[in-house]
Amino acid sequence: MMSRSRLLTIARKELRHIFRDWQTLVVVLVMPVMMMFLYGYALNADAKDIPCLIEDPSPSPETRAIASKIDASSLFSVEGSVFTADDPAELFRLYQVRVIFRFPPDFARDLHRPGGAHVQALIDGSDPNMGAIIRNAADPILLGATLDVVGMRQPHVLDVRTLILYNPEQRSALFFVPGLMAVILLMISALLTSVAIAREKELGTMGQLLVSPLRPLEIIVGKILPYLLLAAVDGFLVLAVGRLAFGVHIAGNPWFLAACSLVYIFTALSIGLLISTIAKRQQHAMFMALGATMMPTVILSGFIFPVLSMPLPLRILSHIIPATYFLEIVRGIILKGVGFAELWKPLAALAGEGLLLTAIAIRKFKVKL
Amino acid sequence: MSAEAYSIRTEQLTKRFGHFTAVDHIDVSVAKGEVFGFLGANGAGKTTAIRMLCGLLQPTSGHGYVAGFDVLKESAKIRTRIGYMSQKFSLYPDLTVSENLKLYGRLYGLDGKDLRARMEEMAAFLGLKDLLPRLTSSLPWGWQQRLSLACANLHRPEILFLDEPTGSVDPVSRRNFWDLIHRLSGQGTTIFITSHYMDEVEYCHRLSIMIDGRIAAMGSPRDLKREHGSASIHELFLKLMEHQPLMEHGPRPEQKPV
Repeated sequence: MMSRSRLLTIARKELRHIFRDWQTLVVVLVMPVMMMFLYGYALNADAKDIPCLIEDPSPSPETRAIASKIDASSLFSVEGSVFTADDPAELFRLYQVRVIFRFPPDFARDLHRPGGAHVQALIDGSDPNMGAIIRNAADPILLGATLDVVGMRQPHVLDVRTLILYNPEQRSALFFVPGLMAVILLMISALLTSVAIAREKELGTMGQLLVSPLRPLEIIVGKILPYLLLAAVDGFLVLAVGRLAFGVHIAGNPWFLAACSLVYIFTALSIGLLISTIAKRQQHAMFMALGATMMPTVILSGFIFPVLSMPLPLRILSHIIPATYFLEIVRGIILKGVGFAELWKPLAALAGEGLLLTAIAIRKFKVKL
Repeated sequence: MSAEAYSIRTEQLTKRFGHFTAVDHIDVSVAKGEVFGFLGANGAGKTTAIRMLCGLLQPTSGHGYVAGFDVLKESAKIRTRIGYMSQKFSLYPDLTVSENLKLYGRLYGLDGKDLRARMEEMAAFLGLKDLLPRLTSSLPWGWQQRLSLACANLHRPEILFLDEPTGSVDPVSRRNFWDLIHRLSGQGTTIFITSHYMDEVEYCHRLSIMIDGRIAAMGSPRDLKREHGSASIHELFLKLMEHQPLMEHGPRPEQKPV
């Protein structure tokens, strides 16, 4: 049986530790907001005004018109035009462009011949993402511009109409807010909790608590409660910044989202607890929490790299990580507005994992005595 | 004799870790109000024995009774009746003196008026009154040690376990500390103290010397010195260490000289 007054005594003490240590407060309150803005602007995959160069050995009205149409597109910005690009490396360096469009000398003449004309797009592939964006965009933009110039319409054979559901504008904010929520809640729950328990061991106060009438479970729950509170505060913080600064609205039921977040926090706390039964010092706890939970979460949960494109062993690994399930749930609620009927599977996996880890952690904690 | 006549009594108390016997069939009895010194080299098994008596560790065999309760079955009852202070002065450095006191008071079920009265009493007794609002980390070692004692003693335990409480404290503070110990013992508190400062253990009513997990000698400092013809406990201790046939058990992995 747990004593409420002893539990609250420990919880209150833990809150004092948190509020007296400004470093913890910064981690809890400032870092999540900072991460939001960092990811918000750094993960912005919507490329525009990519600098490009035109090689035009025999300028003609046609090439000039096409160049100005390229420049007018939102994706490219023409930095200049040269007569020859025999040494492209030198030009890339000199003009700081990402792509060089090379018109051959008889481009204007070829344009009106049956064989058609050729243009070469020389792409700087040192940034694979940027290279892929340019490669995919170059063909339709050039073709469109050229057809316009010669006054032709694209032959009408097939029209694929795409309609994007759930995130119609494909804004990256809708993608990173759920991911950051998973990472930040994990950080508070697993990292801070394991460090806080390891700290008591390092100070020797854990031994002092254990010889008091406190029960091991009261120590654990009392120490965890404040972090649960902090995690909840951070959950709201992420959603609030997401809504105010990035316009992310929750399509589904916010209370269901809160309930699911609590299940995730519970699972993350159980990881923190498990780490704290192994780690004897704060530093050990921190490195274990970073290495065993934060890194895999960022890389394998589907936060940044899609799980579907991972090789099988990594896909299996990603299904051990609680954040994978949580991401599925959060994206489902925020973007699709779905509820329990659609999400019970990942929710059950998350809860099951939490229960299992808690059972192991409490067992280990008791054996240690 | 019945268990109740003593504050602490052990019968063949033993703890083994694998093949290593840390505490080897010890019989110790401590009377109520007695200051009992529990001596031994580092790794002789003192801390293991104390941990068993405080209910933190299950004995492998034998029996132990603390405040009349069985360490095997009634450790929860024992824990409300003992105070424990370790060499590390386990206080929270980021809490104030009064917050540390309140915390430990509350853990032992004190609250409201009772708690305030005990805190005032303890602060007056240990001269901590002016320090109550100070952060614990800002106190010198000697005062942290006093605060530690205050925290362990706030709930008026029947028995105080002090595990090397005077480590890394200057001689004047140590002398003052022993004065406090004797005043507490005068009020009826049983003191069970470990130390490896052989000069200060002369202040104990009775003491035992533990070597390789076993009790090598036990009695009042005066009797022990007379019995073994030693001028001091320090000398006696070294003599016992030399006579100990180490081959019998093989070298002990944790043993370090004093």
